[in-house]
Amino acid sequence: MDPLVYLLDFIVFIGIFSILSLSLNLEFGFAGLANFGKVAFVLVGAYSYYILSEIGVPFYLCLILCALSSAIVGFLVSLPTLKLREDYLAIVVLSFGEILKLIVKSEGWIAGGVWGTPVSPAITIDGVSSRVDALVNIGLVYFCLSICLIMAHFLMNSPYGRVIRAIREDEIAAEALGKNRARYRAQIFALGSAMAGLGGGLYAQYIQFIDPYMFVPMLTFTVWIMVLVGGPGNNWGAILGAGLVTFFDRGANIAKDYLTLPIDPSNLQYIIYGVLIILVLLYRPQGLVKESHVKTKALDRVSHERTTVEIRRS
Amino acid sequence: MVNWAQILLNSAITGSLYLIGAVGLTLTYGLSKFPNFAHAEYITFGAFVGYLVAEQLGLGLPMSLLAAFLITGLGGLLCYRFVFQPLAKRGATIIHLMVASIGLGFLLRYSIGAIWGWEPLYFHIDWPSYDMGPIRITSLWIWIIFSAVALSIILHLMLIKTKIGKAIRASSSNPELALASGININRVILITWFIGAGLAAVAGIFRAANTQIWPMTGWDIILPIFAVAILGGIGNYYGSIVAAFIIGLAENLGVVALMALGLSTSYRIAIAFAILIITLIIKPQGLAMLFRRG
Repeated sequence: MDPLVYLLDFIVFIGIFSILSLSLNLEFGFAGLANFGKVAFVLVGAYSYYILSEIGVPFYLCLILCALSSAIVGFLVSLPTLKLREDYLAIVVLSFGEILKLIVKSEGWIAGGVWGTPVSPAITIDGVSSRVDALVNIGLVYFCLSICLIMAHFLMNSPYGRVIRAIREDEIAAEALGKNRARYRAQIFALGSAMAGLGGGLYAQYIQFIDPYMFVPMLTFTVWIMVLVGGPGNNWGAILGAGLVTFFDRGANIAKDYLTLPIDPSNLQYIIYGVLIILVLLYRPQGLVKESHVKTKALDRVSHERTTVEIRRS
Repeated sequence: MVNWAQILLNSAITGSLYLIGAVGLTLTYGLSKFPNFAHAEYITFGAFVGYLVAEQLGLGLPMSLLAAFLITGLGGLLCYRFVFQPLAKRGATIIHLMVASIGLGFLLRYSIGAIWGWEPLYFHIDWPSYDMGPIRITSLWIWIIFSAVALSIILHLMLIKTKIGKAIRASSSNPELALASGININRVILITWFIGAGLAAVAGIFRAANTQIWPMTGWDIILPIFAVAILGGIGNYYGSIVAAFIIGLAENLGVVALMALGLSTSYRIAIAFAILIITLIIKPQGLAMLFRRG
């Protein structure tokens, strides 16, 4: 394979996984929602993209509708558990992912069942090399990523974001202040699912193929590792985590071909993932990049005045 | 023509299997206040220990059940002692504990895959079958039902009569009060994790002997097992007995309905999911309200 194409492919993957880890960071990092079924919403996005593009919907509309359909599904799935403890949501969404995989597996008419189906790419330019193709995809993916990042950044540093964080820290106190916990949770879950759906659509059109076996729980927890390693509650941390884990994944794939190990490397990779999750939670639960403090004009003024008072006193 | 007697028997077998698998989950869930997703891997690990003893060493089913119970139980205890307890001491949230259990699950599942490989294996024990009127039963199924009944009685007596059983119930319903009454909660938790993982291993052997054995054996039935734990009411042993048989029955009736509707029978696990969702919408406490004392 052309080394440059390999590098560009790597960059596309980082972009797609960054969108996924940003979405999980919204749910888990900021809102404290345990989405153990991220893969379900990626699947919804990917299959929506396929179905819509088959009808002949233009690609930008496809991607928007991917996000929308995924958001609706996410909202509906989160409904039964919004008022319950975090563990119920985790169990329900994890199970939902398995059921959804089962449905696309058994219903051959949706998208080829177990055999999968080819997906047409979003932007096709005739007669260009695969390098240009990858570059076009980088443009598309990073455009979507920057929209997600800007949205996540401004939303989480707005008054709305402070309510979300307050509910995560102390839901009873937040409810005493009149904040409807269930409603905020549903909104964040729908938004996170929308981003995951967008990621799924981008993934499907980039790989140009989908089958049910691509959407295993392992994908969900790969995204979890990205957020945990990078730093829950910090958008840049989530992107850093996506980069590091994708890099490790690529490295492991190369190592498989060149190293002879006593353990099958594909098993070893996931054993390392498991150990990594436990070690990060034990020794560095805040991840590599810590969550930044809430910044508001009022807080700035308070700290500014406090320093001026201290200066006058001295 | 639908053979209803056979369906009832099959439901009892399915229910028994889920009961043995779910008891450990629901007890540890109630006591430690988080769902242990690595429970699936305890089931798988137990099945492979059983396979090792019964097939590779040729010591037969009873020995393999005993060995798998003890070894997996010890493994479950060590997992709690070296993963979950340190995390809980550092003030980990419920989400951290759940994610850690997933990580532990990966560690165990892929280690099993590295040792025994990913090709499905089968028990070669010959199970003689008996015809009784319209129904057919194999000796393996008798083993499964007998074990579930024995387990129900033994655990009932243990929870009601013995000191450790009372301590488990007390620590589960009010940890502070239990601690104040001089119960060594730490020891209670370790014993519960031992029993829970050991029972998961027994369920794993039965599941493996009934179908096949591979590193996903436990994950294949984790959904109905969680449905049993939630329908029964988390931490509620008596609720889980009833829930296991409800889900066993619903699955077997559901398969008949699926065939009648011309749908794939692989949707049978979706039935457990439907029950899970309905429970959460109507009564998130599950059947626990029926058993106030439990």
